[in-house]
Amino acid sequence: MERIRWIAAALCILLLLQIIRAVRREHIRVEYSMAWFGAAAILLVLSLWDAALQWLALALGIEDVSFVLMLLAGLVFLFTFFRLTIEVSTLKDHNILVSQKVGMLEWEIRRQEEALRKLRDKAGDK
Amino acid sequence: MDLIDKRLLVLVPAYNEEGAVGQVIQAVQRVLPGTPVLVVDDGSSDETTATAKRAGAEVVRLPHHLGLGGAVQTGYRFAFEQGFERVVRLDGDGQHPAEEIPSLLAKMDAGGYDMVTGSRYLERNGYQTQALRRFGGWVFSIILRPILGKRISDPTSGFIAVNRNALAVFSHSFPLEYPEIEALVVLRRKAMSFAETPVHMKPRLAGVSTIGSWSAVYYMVRVLLGVLVNVIKYEKRFHTTPWAGG
Repeated sequence: MERIRWIAAALCILLLLQIIRAVRREHIRVEYSMAWFGAAAILLVLSLWDAALQWLALALGIEDVSFVLMLLAGLVFLFTFFRLTIEVSTLKDHNILVSQKVGMLEWEIRRQEEALRKLRDKAGDK
Repeated sequence: MDLIDKRLLVLVPAYNEEGAVGQVIQAVQRVLPGTPVLVVDDGSSDETTATAKRAGAEVVRLPHHLGLGGAVQTGYRFAFEQGFERVVRLDGDGQHPAEEIPSLLAKMDAGGYDMVTGSRYLERNGYQTQALRRFGGWVFSIILRPILGKRISDPTSGFIAVNRNALAVFSHSFPLEYPEIEALVVLRRKAMSFAETPVHMKPRLAGVSTIGSWSAVYYMVRVLLGVLVNVIKYEKRFHTTPWAGG
């Protein structure tokens, strides 16, 4: 097997270990680790499974098997980044809404506190 | 704010404007006594909130900096939820003269418009911006003309009056960065009406513009992309509100 594929396999194992470590320490939520687990696992299998990679290269009409692996790695990670960008955009929308609601609720609390204080003052006068 | 007339709210988005926001609020109170003024403090690190409260405004303070669009939308959302009929937005730096608010509202009433923008270029008087910024505004007005179906002389103006129909739209769909131009496209997409009226703008009382010379390039690209996206937008995220269609 070519050296590049051994390197790719080693990097995938390192990535898998890093993901497991991050999930264990709760640096990544499980739902967001799925895409990374999937990407690393697919690339690990293909870099070690010669017949599958040969078949894929033949199907795609590419002579260089290592190039197929690199192409797949690029596509898989590009897709993963795209998915995460969607997640980040959704989270930003939620963050804006929550921040606006917090600001308005704080205003409402202040208003209620002020009304309560006025009522107490009135009761105290009587 | 319960006992106050809810026909009009003056909205002042402010970010680190302690030097000017007090005078802006006092100017509004002189022109429109008794009209509630809401300052949305966009996570300022200075005394903007305290200054605005001392001047007699209601203050919604955001827990962190959202950007101008996020602050303006907070005000629109607030006004819509509190039942206000109209909102006039003016900047917290003192460039937008409070004495021109009645002319914005008069134009809105006369034409039945959903939004009226104060333009510093319809009649070239009052404070004019730098040549580069005027050029940028001119480029945008050329690009926007076929999209909006009419010429807008000052598409970057933040001196704006909106009615409740526009509030319903903007409280759920409003751009986060540099919102003025995209907001026009949003209204056009909703088949709502808008117009301009001439105003005499002033130089800012304090602070510096958020758009520097370097960020002007980013501004142009960002806004053009925003306009393009708004033209082709699929509004799934905001379709949950039945009245969002205006």
